Amino acid sequence: MTVTLEPSLGDVHAVVEEVWSSFLGAEEPILPLATPMPPGGWSAAITVSGGWDAQITVNLTDGAAQAVTSTMLMCPVEDCSDEDLRDALGELVNMVGGNVKSLMAGSAVLSLPLVGHGDISPGSHLVEVCRLELTWRGEPVVVTVHLPPTADPS
Amino acid sequence: MHALIIDDSKTMRSILRRIVTELGFDTTEAGNGQEALDALEAGLVPDICLIDWNMPLMDGYTFVTRVRADDRWRNVTLMMVTTESEHGQIVRALAAGAHEYVIKPFTPDAIIEKMELLGLVAQEVPA
Amino acid sequence: MPPAGDDGTGVISPTSFAYVADLLRRETAMLCEPGKEYLVEARLLPLARSAGQPDVDSYVALLGRDPSERAKAIDALTINETSWFRDLAPYQAFTEAMLPPLLEARAHVKHLEIWSAACSSGQEAYSLTMLLRENLPPGWTARIHATDVSTSMLERVRAGRYSQVEMNRGMPAQRLVTWFTRAGNEWEVSPELRSMVTTQHLNLAAPFPPMPVFDIVFLRNVLIYFDVDTKRDILRRVSSRISPDGYLLLGSSETTLDLDDAWTREAAGRVWMHRPRGASPAGTAARPASPASPASSASTTVRATAGVAQSTAPALSQTGA
Repeated sequence: MTVTLEPSLGDVHAVVEEVWSSFLGAEEPILPLATPMPPGGWSAAITVSGGWDAQITVNLTDGAAQAVTSTMLMCPVEDCSDEDLRDALGELVNMVGGNVKSLMAGSAVLSLPLVGHGDISPGSHLVEVCRLELTWRGEPVVVTVHLPPTADPS
Repeated sequence: MHALIIDDSKTMRSILRRIVTELGFDTTEAGNGQEALDALEAGLVPDICLIDWNMPLMDGYTFVTRVRADDRWRNVTLMMVTTESEHGQIVRALAAGAHEYVIKPFTPDAIIEKMELLGLVAQEVPA
Repeated sequence: MPPAGDDGTGVISPTSFAYVADLLRRETAMLCEPGKEYLVEARLLPLARSAGQPDVDSYVALLGRDPSERAKAIDALTINETSWFRDLAPYQAFTEAMLPPLLEARAHVKHLEIWSAACSSGQEAYSLTMLLRENLPPGWTARIHATDVSTSMLERVRAGRYSQVEMNRGMPAQRLVTWFTRAGNEWEVSPELRSMVTTQHLNLAAPFPPMPVFDIVFLRNVLIYFDVDTKRDILRRVSSRISPDGYLLLGSSETTLDLDDAWTREAAGRVWMHRPRGASPAGTAARPASPASPASSASTTVRATAGVAQSTAPALSQTGA
């Protein structure tokens, strides 16, 4: 029998809060409000494998993604290239994913981040177990945790 | 004083660079443990290395073990700066010879205070 | 001046600021003087947002009728930014200048009583327990009595749980892994250390509840919030709760000298240890700690404060694997 363990929503929220307040929240905190996510935007994903298997994804609008990059790099939005966005969002999901990984028992390995413009849908076999809908500077930020489906007992 | 910043994220390197530059350090950057080791082999003598764990080619843990195994670099302070925050991971890193450990996310104060603990930065008397 | 937010929020209005300052004074006797508007704005804005209010002024308006928000607001305003082993030097003074003479003087009871006043979330109290566990000889016990005006802070002290961000602040990594384990997204202090700490609600500006006489009192960075008369009164009442040969430690820039002549002071490194007048000077003068960091040979800016972090931590070995 496989027991699927998942992180609590509260803990995932705490992780995201801490990442945001450390690097991004100086002027405006990230709020526990859901704002509708328009199509498009950026996705940053990271996988955990080994003692625990999961994919953690952060979805942001273009505006939020640019604001993240500009804030972390301390450079004006217009000077931030796509490469800068990929790097900043990659580090963002690295921090969120790494801390989510540490919530779970067992030793697991964090992948390198994968960042894309447009939705990176988790593999269709993965199941969403945690969904955090937040708002920052008026823009939606969605963090999800996907797990492989529970194995049926044979 | 010189700091070697080792992280595969340019964003994180720039954040750390700003913090230590404010403290008066010159900096060199490397994108992974191998690049960092190459810099040391080429003669760079940093006072401190700030080291991410998960990087391609050579991870931070391996870099720490390689540096601590070599007497040429016995005076180099090694500080991990990483998302690896399991109790066991920190124990492993310290056992491998890392001197200090900062968990991401961090604020600039956290880095500064660790550098004070390590004796690399003079402590400011609070106002 | 803080920048105006994107939605046009500015700084707290004078009326709201006056209300908040008055609330703080009534509930905690602490002062919030003009000039601190930006601080109040910064501390209350996240609470305002979480409460669904568009700005701090609207949030302050509801404080009058919402006791739970009032309590949150007071906490947010009074919490001292704390880190572990804050400022280092006082903890060095504790280990090197206070403990040795007290270990002699209390040899017949082998017990120390220490008061962490205005303990906030407990980093000071637990920092002291770590130093005690590392420095007390076998057979000795110690108790840290942690008091604060905020009951939610006292709950935090009892829980002994701290976030990753809090653990990054001034905690040597070796001590982190020795004394803490992960609990969800947080780190929890060991039961052994927790058992050394007691908590009590206490408003410094009011008469003290019954308390023992303490060997050491930490009253750091809190007197600054009180007016001169209250400061004098607090010090007078503290002097009745401290042993004749005890020690009082204030914040780095604080002193009793202009307030109360019942104290003398002795230097211990960068720190002044205040003693009840008549106490014999503590043993030998404090020696400066030897720099123990690996980089000390090269640096001209090394200060002798690394000693605390390098003191031997029990249990874990760093040699080899």
